[in-house]
Amino acid sequence: MNGDHLIELKHLQKSFGPQKVLRDVNLEIRRGETMVIIGTSGGGKSVILKHCIGLLQPDGGEVVVDGKVISSNSHIDVKTIRKRMGMLFQGAALFDSMNVGENIKFAVREHEKQHSEADLDRIVAETLHMINLNPDFRFKMPSELSGGMKKRLGLARAIALKPEILLYDEPTTGLDPITSDVINDLIIDMQAKLGATNIVVTHDMVSAYKIADRIAMLLDGRIIFVGTPEETRATSNPYVQQFILGQRKLGGAEAE
Amino acid sequence: MVLDAIGGNFLRLVVLLWQSVEGKIAQVGEVIILFLKILRRAPWFFVNPSLTLEQLIRIGVSSLPLVMVISFFIGAVSAVQAAYQFRGFVPSNYLGTAVCKLVIIESGPVLTALVLAGRVGSAIAAQIGTMKEKEELDAMTVLDLDPLRYLALPRLISGIVSFPLLVIISDCLSIFGGWIITTLVLKVTTATYVFGLRFLFQPYDIVISLVKACVFGVIVVLMGYYHGLSAGSGAKGVGQASMKSVVSSCMLILIVDFLIVYIAY
Repeated sequence: MNGDHLIELKHLQKSFGPQKVLRDVNLEIRRGETMVIIGTSGGGKSVILKHCIGLLQPDGGEVVVDGKVISSNSHIDVKTIRKRMGMLFQGAALFDSMNVGENIKFAVREHEKQHSEADLDRIVAETLHMINLNPDFRFKMPSELSGGMKKRLGLARAIALKPEILLYDEPTTGLDPITSDVINDLIIDMQAKLGATNIVVTHDMVSAYKIADRIAMLLDGRIIFVGTPEETRATSNPYVQQFILGQRKLGGAEAE
Repeated sequence: MVLDAIGGNFLRLVVLLWQSVEGKIAQVGEVIILFLKILRRAPWFFVNPSLTLEQLIRIGVSSLPLVMVISFFIGAVSAVQAAYQFRGFVPSNYLGTAVCKLVIIESGPVLTALVLAGRVGSAIAAQIGTMKEKEELDAMTVLDLDPLRYLALPRLISGIVSFPLLVIISDCLSIFGGWIITTLVLKVTTATYVFGLRFLFQPYDIVISLVKACVFGVIVVLMGYYHGLSAGSGAKGVGQASMKSVVSSCMLILIVDFLIVYIAY
């Protein structure tokens, strides 16, 4: 394994029934970088993310995180690696029956038993401060929050355990451009504050250009391109160009 | 030609039937594996007893008003029916016996479980189905918070504990309902009703009734959780999961009731 690569996806394959979602995905993610995976909706981007954190097991191929294969049957390895990861879900996936403070505290209380309730309250306040929110937010219920606020709090919950690897599933989908920019700034901010390695799945090119160190494009179950934002803009790959320019047909000849 | 067509259709029907049976057998296997997985986490009960207490209130205490109303009227109906069926043949001394036997052996545990399958089982299926749909179960797994430990185990223990307690309350209220009707409407004295209650009374019936209640508690919670986990997407998926949990719980309650009665008596 290359010591520079924290996560390696090797010949990853996954099918759901007759539908082959991932055919042969090969991708290396370097330690400390923000890798943005772009691709069409329903193309399997979120499936890649779920493989990285062990929520899905591949039909073929391997997921290697920090030298350990987590796509085997060894649950101990998956659990150990998972403790080093945090994930922001597409719909934030906040626990509806708990208020914001409890959402953030829940995992910390269960995994770090040494903390008193006062410590936990302090951690909640610090975490909310990291995502630029007032500590009073901890009393709100998820149903009282807007979509953007839910995403921010989903991020707060993910970073409360100080993960080394952060996975973002469509962090800006469904948000207005200004709120999207707030989320983009938060992702950049988190990388600076936590030094985390980020994998972001999105089809929002504004977001991708702003936050990415490298961009990978998934098409037909394969990674067809990997490059920096500048290389992505300049590439002659017709499929990448079609996607980043939002053209309906390849080459843009009949684009409307 | 016609025979060939009939033969082909018959074969297709057999294949379809077999596939359906095969699917059901696979489901039974999945439910048993789920049950064993939850049981394996039983020691965690002592680490988070508050989660079970919360579910005891949701499953047990919240169901009390419904169980009380239904039980009272079951007792009342039993008394009226017994009086009508006995008229001219059996003395009213045995009205209490009929109510007591019917309530303790059958209607107490079975009707309470059927009602709770609708109230508790469907609520569990809907909640777990919605949590699955909104990726809350995945979020728990990612945070290394085992859903079976934090969601399934407290519900299962609450089902096993609260169902027998609700059945005891249901039995008492049914007998009370029978007494009210017997004394106020049928004009039978309390002493006669109590004589009937004590006549042929066997503590063994209560033991079997409580065993049934525990098993029914497991069935209702397990079916709710299983169908919640298997829920399809959207409101339709969650609605169907609720419906399936109620239907399968009710069927299993009646089948298992027969098996327990057959073995115990």
